[in-house]
Amino acid sequence: MRAILLLVIAFCLTTWLEPWFQRWKGDRSGDVITVALGDSRKLFARHFYVKADAYFHNGYYPTIYDVKAGGELHMAAAAGSGTHEDHVKEMDFLGQPKDWIDWFGRHFYPSEHTHLGEEECEHCKHGDDHAEHAEQTEGLEREMLPWFKLAATLDPEQPETYVVASFWLSRKLGKINEAEQFLREGLRANPGNFEILFELGRIANEHRKDTTRARNLWVLALENFHKADQSVQDSELLLHCGLLSSLAKLEQEQDNKAEAIRYFTELKKYSPFKDQVQAWIDYLK
Amino acid sequence: MSTAQSIYPPVQAIAAVVIRELYRRKDFYVLFVLTALITLVLGSVNFFSEEKVVRYLKEICLFLIWVSSIVIAITTAARQIPAERENRTLFPLLAKPVTRNHVVLGKFLGCWYASGLCLFVFYLFFAVISGAREHAWPIAHYFQGFMLHWFLLGVVTALALLGSIVFAAPSSNNTITLVVVTGILLLAGHLNKMALNLSEPMHTLVYAIYYALPHLEFFDMRELIIHSRPTVPWLIWLAALLYATVYAAIFLSATCFLFRKKAIN
Repeated sequence: MRAILLLVIAFCLTTWLEPWFQRWKGDRSGDVITVALGDSRKLFARHFYVKADAYFHNGYYPTIYDVKAGGELHMAAAAGSGTHEDHVKEMDFLGQPKDWIDWFGRHFYPSEHTHLGEEECEHCKHGDDHAEHAEQTEGLEREMLPWFKLAATLDPEQPETYVVASFWLSRKLGKINEAEQFLREGLRANPGNFEILFELGRIANEHRKDTTRARNLWVLALENFHKADQSVQDSELLLHCGLLSSLAKLEQEQDNKAEAIRYFTELKKYSPFKDQVQAWIDYLK
Repeated sequence: MSTAQSIYPPVQAIAAVVIRELYRRKDFYVLFVLTALITLVLGSVNFFSEEKVVRYLKEICLFLIWVSSIVIAITTAARQIPAERENRTLFPLLAKPVTRNHVVLGKFLGCWYASGLCLFVFYLFFAVISGAREHAWPIAHYFQGFMLHWFLLGVVTALALLGSIVFAAPSSNNTITLVVVTGILLLAGHLNKMALNLSEPMHTLVYAIYYALPHLEFFDMRELIIHSRPTVPWLIWLAALLYATVYAAIFLSATCFLFRKKAIN
């Protein structure tokens, strides 16, 4: 009897709620995550993106109480620039143990700086080299992938997530199709983004050997870069140089010397290695 | 030896009643089903056609196990003595050749064994799930992790029992113990860094708290398990178990002392 009563109440409630929802003028454009989390999803997305970097360091990562130099995350720096020595110095956030509790506690969490694939197993500690370990550590970069996916789902307007994920997918895991698909998802969320276009061009050139497509993508990326704000252009100088040098090299390989010289000449304005760039221009001339 | 022989039977009998109570209650079953369900659903997600991705799953599963085990340990321990008083079963219990110390020890051992039993099921599930995915069975890691976790639950159980004597209602005891345990787990290891930035007398005060608090974070080797880091050196591991035993003994002694002083009617 009670079940029937509940069923009737539920049915009545539905007949009232459904027309009300259809008439409701509130924002129903966003998905469930956007509606539920609002702008806080960006904070969570950043957290998960950083989590991927923590995984890259096998859990050896500073907490909010540890002093860590700011700047680019190492997993992202691996896709760009930055020396290994600087990174080792930067990641020595633990320092010497401050007291016996600190010393004792360090045995229970990762307190040695390693990267994915550099883990030591019990055999390695005894200096033995063995194929089994090499097999196990191969392709461990995959462990970062869930966090990239989650970060991109929560904040699709962050192009860095797509570019860094694509770097690991294509270069370390050999998943070219997945990398390209993920970048295209990123491009849909960030139309005309020059970082994503540059990465798509790199995949077309390096993995697909499709130079025409790579050129088109890079030229579009360069055009969009020039359309961006001056502040954005100043902050993305490295990417600008990367775009110009990639285009120049591509044109050089295709025997379009005039175009190659044009890109090298533009690159010379921004590159810190002006002499080397000039030497290339002289060589091409 | 004769003292131990006289203490053990009543303590064991009380502990057995607590374990039987856990079988009847639904807490463990609900939490286990929830943990298993969430883990299995997340395990079925496909990330870029990579089937061997496992660390995220280990992290989420271990997190759920930690939350569930702490909730089970606190709620089981916190209701023991108040329930005996409320149901007026404490009087007939103490009328037998059972002292108040026997009651406290029996309740503690019962809750600790019961938590251990639940924890064993949780870790078995975790080992099966990660082993099926990873094709690796780091038994030493799991053994160390399980034992450290179980001893941590011993400290938490003793703390909750102490709370059940100090606080009026089990609900307030549950909340306060949960907040204290979570606070210690998150903050205790960082108090020394905070103290360094403070001026006197706060510097000394924070450092004193840092040394006095039970460092429950010692028993959390989840990161080592997740990232397949080498195991904890065995002597250090034994020292951590000893550390937990000392703190559990301190809390139990305080519970026995307060319970002896307390009027039970």
